[in-house]
Amino acid sequence: MAHDTAVLVLGGGSTGCGIARDLAMRGVDVTLVERGNLTDGTTGRMHGLLHSGGRYAVSDQASATECIEENEILREIASHCVEETGGLFVQRPEDSDEYFQEKLEGCRDCGIPATVLSGREARGVEPYLAEDVSRAIQVPDGAVDPFRLCVANALDAERHGARIETHAEVIDLLRDGDEIYGVEVRHDSGPGKRTHKSPGTTEEITAEYVVNATGAWAGQIGDMADLDVAVRPSKGVMTIMNVRQVDTVINRCRPKGDADIIVPHETTAILGTTDEEVADPDDYPEEQWEVDMMIDTLSELVPILEEARTIRSFWGVRPLYEPPGTGTQDPTDITRDFFLLDHDERDGVSGMSSIVGGKFTTYRAMAEEITDHVCAKLGVSATCATAEEPLPGSEDISVLEEGMDDFGLRSPIARRSNQRLGSRAADVLETDEPNPVVCECEGVTRAEVQDAIDQSGSDLNAVRIRTRASMGNCQGGFCCQNMATELHPRYDEATVREALDELFQERWKGERHALWGEQLSQAMLNYALHATTMNRDNDPAGASTQVDYAQFDGGA
Amino acid sequence: MAITDDVLVIGGGLAGATAALAASDAAEDARVRLVTYKQSTLRHASGLIDVLGYAPSGDGQQQPIADPFTALESLPESHPYQRVGVDAVREALAFFDEVAGDAYAGAHTDRNALVPTHGGTVKPTARYPVSTAEGLASDDRDTLLVGFKTLPDFDAPLAAAHLEAAGAPFDARGVTLSFPGIGRDDAKVTRYAHLLDHDERVETLTGETGAREAIAATVKPHLDGESRVGFPAILGDEHPTAVREALSDALGADVFEVPMGPPSLPGLRLEDLLYDALESAGVRVTAGVPVVGHETTSEGMTAAIDHVVVDRHGAEIPHEADQYVLATGGLVGKGIESNRKRVTEPLFDCYVPHATDRYNWFVDDVFGEQPYARFGVVPDTELRPLDADDDPEFSNLRAAGAVLGGYDYAAEKSGAGVSLATGYVAGTHAGEACQ
Amino acid sequence: MSDAQRPSDDGVSSEQPSTGGVGGGDSDSGDGNDEFEPVQVFPEAEEMDLRPGADSCYKCSTCDTNCPVAEVDDEFPGPKFQGPEQWRLKRQDDHDIDDSVMKCSNCMRCDSACPSSVPLSQMHNTARAEYVEENMSKFSREYLRNRVLANYRRLAPLASMFPRTANFVMGRSVTKWLGEKTLGITSERDFPEFATETFREWWTDRGGANVENEDKRIAYFHGCYSNYNTPEVAKALVHVYEHFGYEVMVPEQSCSGTPMFANGMLEDARRAAETNVRELAAAIEDGADVIASCSSCSMSIRQEYPELFDFENTEDVAANTWDAVEYLRVHEDLMGALENTTVGDEFDDMAYHAPCHSRNQGLDGQTIEVMDAIDGIDAHDVGDSCSGISGTYGWKEENYETSMKIGEEMFEHMDAAEAETGLTECPTCSMQMEHGTGYEIKHTLEVLEAALVGDRDGSGSGSHASAGAGTETATESN
Repeated sequence: MAHDTAVLVLGGGSTGCGIARDLAMRGVDVTLVERGNLTDGTTGRMHGLLHSGGRYAVSDQASATECIEENEILREIASHCVEETGGLFVQRPEDSDEYFQEKLEGCRDCGIPATVLSGREARGVEPYLAEDVSRAIQVPDGAVDPFRLCVANALDAERHGARIETHAEVIDLLRDGDEIYGVEVRHDSGPGKRTHKSPGTTEEITAEYVVNATGAWAGQIGDMADLDVAVRPSKGVMTIMNVRQVDTVINRCRPKGDADIIVPHETTAILGTTDEEVADPDDYPEEQWEVDMMIDTLSELVPILEEARTIRSFWGVRPLYEPPGTGTQDPTDITRDFFLLDHDERDGVSGMSSIVGGKFTTYRAMAEEITDHVCAKLGVSATCATAEEPLPGSEDISVLEEGMDDFGLRSPIARRSNQRLGSRAADVLETDEPNPVVCECEGVTRAEVQDAIDQSGSDLNAVRIRTRASMGNCQGGFCCQNMATELHPRYDEATVREALDELFQERWKGERHALWGEQLSQAMLNYALHATTMNRDNDPAGASTQVDYAQFDGGA
Repeated sequence: MAITDDVLVIGGGLAGATAALAASDAAEDARVRLVTYKQSTLRHASGLIDVLGYAPSGDGQQQPIADPFTALESLPESHPYQRVGVDAVREALAFFDEVAGDAYAGAHTDRNALVPTHGGTVKPTARYPVSTAEGLASDDRDTLLVGFKTLPDFDAPLAAAHLEAAGAPFDARGVTLSFPGIGRDDAKVTRYAHLLDHDERVETLTGETGAREAIAATVKPHLDGESRVGFPAILGDEHPTAVREALSDALGADVFEVPMGPPSLPGLRLEDLLYDALESAGVRVTAGVPVVGHETTSEGMTAAIDHVVVDRHGAEIPHEADQYVLATGGLVGKGIESNRKRVTEPLFDCYVPHATDRYNWFVDDVFGEQPYARFGVVPDTELRPLDADDDPEFSNLRAAGAVLGGYDYAAEKSGAGVSLATGYVAGTHAGEACQ
Repeated sequence: MSDAQRPSDDGVSSEQPSTGGVGGGDSDSGDGNDEFEPVQVFPEAEEMDLRPGADSCYKCSTCDTNCPVAEVDDEFPGPKFQGPEQWRLKRQDDHDIDDSVMKCSNCMRCDSACPSSVPLSQMHNTARAEYVEENMSKFSREYLRNRVLANYRRLAPLASMFPRTANFVMGRSVTKWLGEKTLGITSERDFPEFATETFREWWTDRGGANVENEDKRIAYFHGCYSNYNTPEVAKALVHVYEHFGYEVMVPEQSCSGTPMFANGMLEDARRAAETNVRELAAAIEDGADVIASCSSCSMSIRQEYPELFDFENTEDVAANTWDAVEYLRVHEDLMGALENTTVGDEFDDMAYHAPCHSRNQGLDGQTIEVMDAIDGIDAHDVGDSCSGISGTYGWKEENYETSMKIGEEMFEHMDAAEAETGLTECPTCSMQMEHGTGYEIKHTLEVLEAALVGDRDGSGSGSHASAGAGTETATESN
């Protein structure tokens, strides 16, 4: 039977996008469907650490080795998504010397460059480190923007012929006896780029092979075909600071524990995290104590965090998995390794494999392994090139180095724009038209927003993850409106209005967890601007009853 | 020795300025001083004087209120308007009308006007700057809106489409043009205003002309029979009337401004107007320095403030007065502060009711009934802040404006009105009490 | 105790006649032949990470509406960008400060505007220093010119040795033309005249203080301008304070640093500040409070020193430094003393301009209040605009036009006021006021002197020392 596509990948996170890219580069016809935006699941809800492997150097040396290998590859192929910050494992007086030693030796065993710094040297690197930090191990941790990385994978997959459908939720697996041959999806407003207000449709997409790369949601997909995929979703909180208190990844050097990492991320620093199993990856409590713990515990390492401004918090759900019968109690102890479940071998149902477990840093290696598996099934012999071929934006790293063009922009805005766009910068930023800054917090210009709209349609959250617009300290209070107006006249007024409401509400969702001090003042100012000055809360354009204008003062 | 006055108003926004003016009006010989730390939130605000646009605690979408004064009667007891009484609101508005003179319009009727916003919606308001008067959405003349490529805050074609979606009773069109004389894409709104105020010479395709003429020439070809033209609120700071008149003459159409978000020139002009009035009234203004402490005396049951301490880069300057008015603003003006555990009024530590669990300070719908928007001190009918037992915190301290709690000015569109009414009442009481 | 020293011959050779600049500062008894030393701003000065200061910003742009430069020149993107936005976008290793920071005039109005206490001027000062260090060629004309303007104190002593010659040379158009061509100093302005006798010379000749009082002592920070150019202001201060029974000390001092901050010469400023903090701390130790007559000098000591330096006693000196009039208002019954006093015709009608740096200290309303207490004076506040000169800013050829545009509002208001005498507390504002209107410009202390002491001839004022209304014990503020 003729299929719509050779391989259908479910899930637009790092794994799914990585697989789609790999397959497409090997010449395989691939379609990827994602329920929401790219990265909406777990990928967009992580702390952005590019592991050196140091974190696993004691507990899981195989993972550690894999991390350092992939770390080095990503610095090459995704330089515009990676910041080589370096990392420190810092020891406080109450942290054990034995573990410090084990960590150091573990790093060396795994080929992770590791140097011991005295407390003073560590504070030389990071001036805000606590006075009582006694020692540190310096490792090549990095920071990575998971949004850009994921989007770049998807973009490259598309360039190689893949079809990427976001806002396409899988509502059923198509199963014929013991064979899965596709899915039925519900397009929110598609198919194609998202446009608010366009009616949704459903579509059956058939495929020779289906890859379930939905991570924490893999169990739900499995259920549609009566396949038992026992993921154990585990939530973790991440709290975003307004500015970078540190420019190096700071890890607490102790065996395990909550609130033990600070990752500089773009203009911010992200505090993480907790590890708690949840029943439903879409519905779990987000609690005050988790946020408080991040601040209180990590202030032990970097004391100014105590009084610093946080702009929001978010939770991610790890797609943890362990083979049936392992029975680990504490989710912290569940392996971070990934598992490829071939449902043919496992359940006698052909046409689909599920991927569970795993971690972001090694997404490419996972994708390679899975793609190898799929290619074997399909009889494709092409080999993997994803470790050598740079991603779009990283083709020419010299752009990121000295002599970058400023495109008529103020230097910090030019610098940030160049860093985000990499080798695409000139294509995007060169314009004869005025190019004002749309998001002042993050230094995002109109041209960059327009480029993101080209890629993603009327979805402003998709624009946001591509550009960082609305991710700074005002949390969109001042720029959501400006981002929305960039949709016009490509999209009509009603579409723009709905897109704006959606983005504004999404920004509020995370900001709720930072509502005290400056951020509460910011929230009130944002509220006043949108409700008082613009009257968006009682917009007559959205009302069911018409305003009777004649009842009002029409002038003297 | 302490710097001594009769009435000391702390806070230099709409409420504080009104209180100081009302105090010196109530007691002609009184020495009135206004101390303000940083610049007020007037510069964030649209410059509209809204009184009541929507009933509080409505569920979901509401119709705007056409007659705010009637609607005031049905507000809950705890609302600041109810504390001062409806008559006082009218008196305060009349007082404002006197101060504002011909800079504001709307006094000819009790009815709210509907003013177009830069987001393309319309907003009910009781008084409006004269610069917006020709633009009322409750006026049915066809309208051309003009935006500028370098001012991303206002997209005129989108705003025009939005006005039509809002059912405005006229045809609206929008065009986006280049602003002559602006060289950088990030020029500040004050730069645009200055160009027009001073009618600076600018380069155009047809040679050098004045900025006003150049703008008019840019707009004119786009005019298609509309009898009014709206611009973002950048039409001058010092000489807005002259700018509007020049544009209007050149275009042959009425010209108006669409109020914008921060930084807001209409807000700035209102601030100038108030500070000119303060100067004329002989109110002394000490700006740029924070009040950092106070000393109390207790004669009788209730404590009184003896003096406050102003910090001037480390030097502590005592300021003494008979009566005090607290008009330091709300969460935005920092008259109300918070940390992870509690919400406070930082100067006098007046009682601010709030939930102990900060996850009860908000609701999940961004435009829902937000508890945080109601944070503030609770006043008695004389506007003295009350403690947790409903007793006045101090006998000679009154509060006005956004430092008061119990109302959501953003949802109600009542911010300016509450500041005026409570500022007027607090200032009047303070003036009378020191006679 | 009067340890005033005649400024020594700095030995600067006279081949640089066109460098009589502006600003505040005094020689710290230079050791001769000191050419400008090589600069070493960073990394010797600790790199300051001001990113956390961006935490206070909620983007309201109130700062931008106060920026007199952004209003007239769209090349300057305003303080919100220069301050919290630029800092927040920085990574530790980024040093490419946008060159527009050099367009900031350092008026510091954004500081007192910000409703959220963002350390705006500190951010500007630090970024500017970093820009000068990392991005500006040390051999450029702009750098040399800025260094010359910032270091007026090094050149003023020479001019004041031969004031008549200096005034003659600097006034000559060819010299001014050379200044513009070779250094980029505008030829539109007249260089300030140098006094034939500096304040410190006068002080030494006078034999120092006429009043001794261990309970009421002040250490006078005169700054350079009232030493070299307007010693009558400094003398007025001495007379007024002696009138109230204060023992005046005139400690060793260097430039306050204001012009150096404004030009990103942070290391020059550091050296000057170190001297000042040391000397003023010693005076405080002797029981004195520090008094400044120039609003930029007091601003610098009170705010910029603690923000930018951490010498021992910096905070202490900042906390004990006062504006000359403010101090009397708080410690004496100044208003009572002024009641029923009168002044001569020359002070009848005055157009008062509050300098930005007074505004920053919350002192902008003070002068009018004090003037109102004197019979017959009609002082008009000419509004809250900036004069536009901002120290060395308006002296630069490329800024002259902007400077005059900024000043336009003040000139208009001065013209509208019925007065022909200007009044202010800032030396460079007074230059701009004079330049724009042709008015004679006075300092508030000169008016107080006329009201309280009457006789403006310095030699006779000692007799007032223990007389007058203001000798009651100072009331300490709590």
